[in-house]
Amino acid sequence: MLADDAVLFREGLARILTEMGFDVTGQYADGDTLVANVRDNPPDVAVLDLRMPPGFADEGIAAARAIRAAAPSVGLMLLSQYVEVHHALRLMTEFDGGVGYLLKDRVSDLNVLGAELRNVAIGGTVIDPDLVVRLVTRRREDDPLGRLTDRERAVLALMARGHSNTAIATDLYLAVKTVEAHVTSIFTKLDLAPGDREHRRVLAVLRFLRA
Amino acid sequence: MSGPVCGAAVTALVAGGFALGFRLDDLHNGLLAVAFTAVGLYVVWQRPANREAWLFVATGVAQAAMFAARQYGLHRPALPASSWIGWLGVWPLPLVFVLIAVTLMSFPTGRLPSRRWRAVVGALAVLGVALAAMSALWPVEYDRVPLAAPHPLHLPGATAATAIHPIAMGVGYPVFQLIWVMCAIWRLVRAEGDESRQLRWFVCAVAATGAVMAVGLIGWGTPVPGLLAAPLVPVAAGAAILKYRLYDIDPLINATLVWGAMAAVVTLGYAVIVVAVGSLIGGSGTLLALLATALVAVAFEPLRRRAQRVADRIVYGRRATPYETLSRLSAQLTGPSSGLLDGLCATVADGTGARQVVLWKGPADELHAVSAWPAARPGEVRTLDELTLGGRAVPVTHGGRTVGALAVTTGARGSLTSQERGLLADVAAQAGLVLELRASAQRLVAAGDEARRRLERDLHDGAQQRLVTVAMELGALAKAANGATAFADRAEAARQQLLQATAELRETARGLHPAVLTQDGLEAALGYLADRSAVPVRLHIAVDRRLAPAVEATAYFVVSEGLTNAAKHAGARITTVTAELTPRGLLLEVGDDGAGGAQARPGSGLEGLTDRLAALDARLIVDSGPGGTQLRTVIPCG
Repeated sequence: MLADDAVLFREGLARILTEMGFDVTGQYADGDTLVANVRDNPPDVAVLDLRMPPGFADEGIAAARAIRAAAPSVGLMLLSQYVEVHHALRLMTEFDGGVGYLLKDRVSDLNVLGAELRNVAIGGTVIDPDLVVRLVTRRREDDPLGRLTDRERAVLALMARGHSNTAIATDLYLAVKTVEAHVTSIFTKLDLAPGDREHRRVLAVLRFLRA
Repeated sequence: MSGPVCGAAVTALVAGGFALGFRLDDLHNGLLAVAFTAVGLYVVWQRPANREAWLFVATGVAQAAMFAARQYGLHRPALPASSWIGWLGVWPLPLVFVLIAVTLMSFPTGRLPSRRWRAVVGALAVLGVALAAMSALWPVEYDRVPLAAPHPLHLPGATAATAIHPIAMGVGYPVFQLIWVMCAIWRLVRAEGDESRQLRWFVCAVAATGAVMAVGLIGWGTPVPGLLAAPLVPVAAGAAILKYRLYDIDPLINATLVWGAMAAVVTLGYAVIVVAVGSLIGGSGTLLALLATALVAVAFEPLRRRAQRVADRIVYGRRATPYETLSRLSAQLTGPSSGLLDGLCATVADGTGARQVVLWKGPADELHAVSAWPAARPGEVRTLDELTLGGRAVPVTHGGRTVGALAVTTGARGSLTSQERGLLADVAAQAGLVLELRASAQRLVAAGDEARRRLERDLHDGAQQRLVTVAMELGALAKAANGATAFADRAEAARQQLLQATAELRETARGLHPAVLTQDGLEAALGYLADRSAVPVRLHIAVDRRLAPAVEATAYFVVSEGLTNAAKHAGARITTVTAELTPRGLLLEVGDDGAGGAQARPGSGLEGLTDRLAALDARLIVDSGPGGTQLRTVIPCG
């Protein structure tokens, strides 16, 4: 089910999703109409534009909240034109899984789009890589990430993208053991208990940053 | 009776009195007559409705009449009808005392401090009438006043009256004086602000008079020293007026000081040259007189200027003369334009000595305060009619249209003088132009912002959506070209380029007008800037409500410019951004620890900001040195 006020984009997305084998059960120009239809016919995932009529502020998040209340099983995928940290942080803190935040640019990579939609549908959390980069390179003076070394920050960036330790090791030309050491060090520095699944760790990092 | 008639009468009576001879024991009556009348008439001229001024005039006239009659009666040999005219100069004395007491008790408002004092005045009047009657019927005062002719009446009971009168007088005369002192002290204790300062002068004089009177009566049994000290009181009232601007008597006193000093200098100079030099060289005559005249003429102008400066300092103190006020205003108008409205109000306050000056803006039926001196601005909405009632405000117009009003609050001193009204009108004329220029600058900024916002919206809704959709199609193409690797690669490359273009377009749109600002407010938008900054940012935001779009956009651009400069030019290691809503407006500070050297050069970003801020009546303070750069401004935001 889709909700976006930009007709061209919405219809293109619906067509491509259909071609990819998704069943698009409804297309709406605003969040309220979609919410009204979600109850009768809950989809696996609702794809929502973050800014929609009437206010073009955060109607997508409001709609997501209504959907979660009405039909908790529906995965929520928010699409945004800009990387907006404050919205993403709100989303991640407010919703415990089954939620995603992607830039509209990302949607054109159909493999990513398909994978992330399925991820959200089964209760996963999806964060746009650009957002992660923004968070990681975020240069607030009181930033706990300031305590990390450049190398650790690079590891965290990759980790936040969902890379495994092995993949990080390959990307950064490091031994897996070294990467593991960096990860442990990151968790220690950020006061996070190790052992969670990786997107959970990202979530924890996001929450920590918000505080 | 009108002012000029009173003035002429008093002048004639006093001049006539002095023409009949100089008498120490009658001097005080003449002095009192002149002092009260002169002060009273000047104030009446400025403010015909002022009650205290009329009391002064009445006191002066009564004193003058008594003085003239007494001088006539004192003249030796006795003049025609000396017995009756001299009699007129003696017995009204207690009544004049009562009048003086009431006048002084009513200072500076022209009214008694409260209703309860009316009873006191009643008691004084009874005492005064009793003493006057006694003195009118029997020659009880004639021992003290050596009139040329005897008392015109020869009634029985003179012995009893002569026995009673000294006691009644011994009680009555000090009581008259004590009552003023008490009343003035009572007033002083309860007065605030200017009135309290005026009264302090006055009370000193009253107390001194009382003391002299007491010493005179106790030590020598005569009220003459106390009576001679009495003119101190109107003089002190004059000093209070002069120092605390009660009635704008300043220019007259100023001129008197200057010309008095000059007359003394000329006379002295002439006398020294003619007499001293004449006796030294033993010569005299026309040549020496000509030489003296020439020397005095040469020295006159420089001396006059010096005397003028001294007089200005004595009379005006820190207060600006009307001319200085206007020239200060034009300096304000041609200087850096920011803070202009506040400067305007301060200028008016300087020139009129007002307690509060408020500049109101808007159409005649809905005026809002836009600036005030001192800083506290009234929050309510007023109409022009309400404000101009009583002549304490003038409308501010531009092109024949009412664009505001300039209002002054003068506190205890009543309405404005004609001179001050003239100044107010002059400043109001300038204010019309300033308000209009500011409004047009604000309209330009708002229109510019609106155009940029629309452009951003169009880019977001149109081109960006289309590009993203096309990128999606290319992605679909790449995926559909299953197996045809070269084709898939080209489609993917095209998609990447398109995404690059989208990213660039997005940056352009953001630079035009950040959507996050319009939709989520200043805090989110500044957070956004901080997140993107290349230099770490210590962010402190305390803004708990949405502000006017122009204020938010300006604040955003100030911080954006500050952070960009810190990263690009200053090589800073850390920046600090503060945005805080204060009673004066939105306080913004952007500081860094970089190399400094920032200044608002023509065509620079800082100059653009300065203009933008000026339109909002704010000023950009750039403090840039080796320790870093700090941009600081407070944007008024109602």
